[in-house]
Amino acid sequence: MKRPLLFAFLLSAATATLAQHRHVHGEGRLDAALDQDTLTLNLELPLDAAVGFERAPKNDKERAALAAAEKILNDPALFRPAAAAQCALQSVQVGMPTFDGSGGHADIEAAHTFRCTVPAALNSVETTLFQSMKRLYRLDARRVGPGGQGAQRLTPNKPVLRW
Amino acid sequence: MKAVLSLALKSAWARRLTLGIVLVAIAIASALLLAVERVRHDARQSFTQSVSGVDLVVGARSSGVQLMLYAVFRSGSATHNLRMDSFDAIVTNPAIDWAVPLILGDSHRGHPVLGTTPAYFERFRYADARPLAFATGRPFAGGIAGVFEAVLGSEVARTLGYRSGDRITLTHGMAAAGPGHEDKPFAIVGILAPTGTPVDRTVHVSPEAITALHLDWAGGAPLPGLAIPAEQVRKFELAPQEITAALIGLKNRADVFRVQRQINAYRGEALMAVMPGVALDELWQTLAAIESTLFVLSALVVAVGLAGLAATLLAALDQRRRELAILRSLGASPGDLFFMLAGEALLVTALGVILGIVLLAGASVLAAPLAREFGIHLSPGLPGGNEWTILASILATGLAAGLIPGWRAWRMALADGLTPRN
Repeated sequence: MKRPLLFAFLLSAATATLAQHRHVHGEGRLDAALDQDTLTLNLELPLDAAVGFERAPKNDKERAALAAAEKILNDPALFRPAAAAQCALQSVQVGMPTFDGSGGHADIEAAHTFRCTVPAALNSVETTLFQSMKRLYRLDARRVGPGGQGAQRLTPNKPVLRW
Repeated sequence: MKAVLSLALKSAWARRLTLGIVLVAIAIASALLLAVERVRHDARQSFTQSVSGVDLVVGARSSGVQLMLYAVFRSGSATHNLRMDSFDAIVTNPAIDWAVPLILGDSHRGHPVLGTTPAYFERFRYADARPLAFATGRPFAGGIAGVFEAVLGSEVARTLGYRSGDRITLTHGMAAAGPGHEDKPFAIVGILAPTGTPVDRTVHVSPEAITALHLDWAGGAPLPGLAIPAEQVRKFELAPQEITAALIGLKNRADVFRVQRQINAYRGEALMAVMPGVALDELWQTLAAIESTLFVLSALVVAVGLAGLAATLLAALDQRRRELAILRSLGASPGDLFFMLAGEALLVTALGVILGIVLLAGASVLAAPLAREFGIHLSPGLPGGNEWTILASILATGLAAGLIPGWRAWRMALADGLTPRN
């Protein structure tokens, strides 16, 4: 009787892992959603790409690196929507890892919200993230808007998400 | 000049076998290059047009592309089904506007059968958010009433010659000669207008119909000694226990990331929600390298063909010394000879390209049924878009290839041609 139970537990554990997003060092994810006049950009990075480690900071230098990363993600100019859309930044939220001792990987998240006067003119969003985070070599971007959905791969050479 | 042109054409005609072979080589090469471009373009077009207005496609956890292929393009098959109670649980999400279940697996003479609710005909969109339209008839009735009613895609009706009111039987599985469901015929109640998408190849029935067909089946074969006649099935519980996939539309498209996360994290079963537009773009990203390789290879084949043209003209030049010298002595200038040779190259290339277009048109007509199996609609007919650019570059390269023999003819001394050697 115990075996099937154990098997079911293992199976559910395996699928639970699958259900979580993947974590690949050097690769971040960007979700862009345009809803009426609101543009939401959700960024998710492996902490390693930002600071080079994925655990609680051990010394002042590492603490400074974390603070610097937080500052980069809080930068209002991190994303530049197409000028013609006349988007103004409404809010920035940055989620730093808590290092709760569970071990494994850590991610940092940032959500930038813009309000655009001419949302129909929004055909691109450029990011300066690659300039400030040299360990980041790829952002897998997904976008959704009135025109439908799409995916694009942003790299240091192509840091512009296009509609 | 006119006399030179006429003589040049006659001279080319005299060498028609050699030039003809080169022409055929150029034709095949350009047809190949155009075919690569057309298949690439049409595949993207067909896939992109096939689904619109669907925010998420949900299925058992596998690969996103695989889910898209079977749920939307009816090619390939699902590794697992999802339970109906999972579907019911998911659609309670307040962000979801509508959800349509899809049940695949049976077929009718090679055409896939889709079990779905009548809402499918209202909700499904293709191309630029165009809804499905009925050429004749109506959707099947929902629930028990419409259990043996079917709606055909336009192509099914056209190729098999069906009309509203005809009766058809389905086959278990996708093999044309699989075990049949002959005991339970369906009445065709509607035929959809053409869409240019996999919908055209599909036979639509209700989810209850799929359950009804398999009431007296177990393990993929009819139960021996048990046959439930068609008129009896309404006594049974026909609501499906499992579905293959589901299409979901949201009240607000921008919620898609959140709803996708929620479905992927559903605890009852390993589910996957795929954003169709994202999955397709990711598929193109994966295929981009293969596409460019194919394109470069076929461009090289064209280059080989045109190099052959230049070589043929150059080789002929030696044999035509006398001919060209006589032309010169009759008053043709070196420039005339240059234009004659370059023009000959351009003419052969142009004829080759035209023959290539004809070849491609023939090939696409022949390959169209095969491509449709994969959900790709090959557009026959005249080149469009990028294809004109490709044709122009082939012509330009052909002309460039003709410059070499032209230049040689220009430089050839008059006396050289008139002095008999050997």
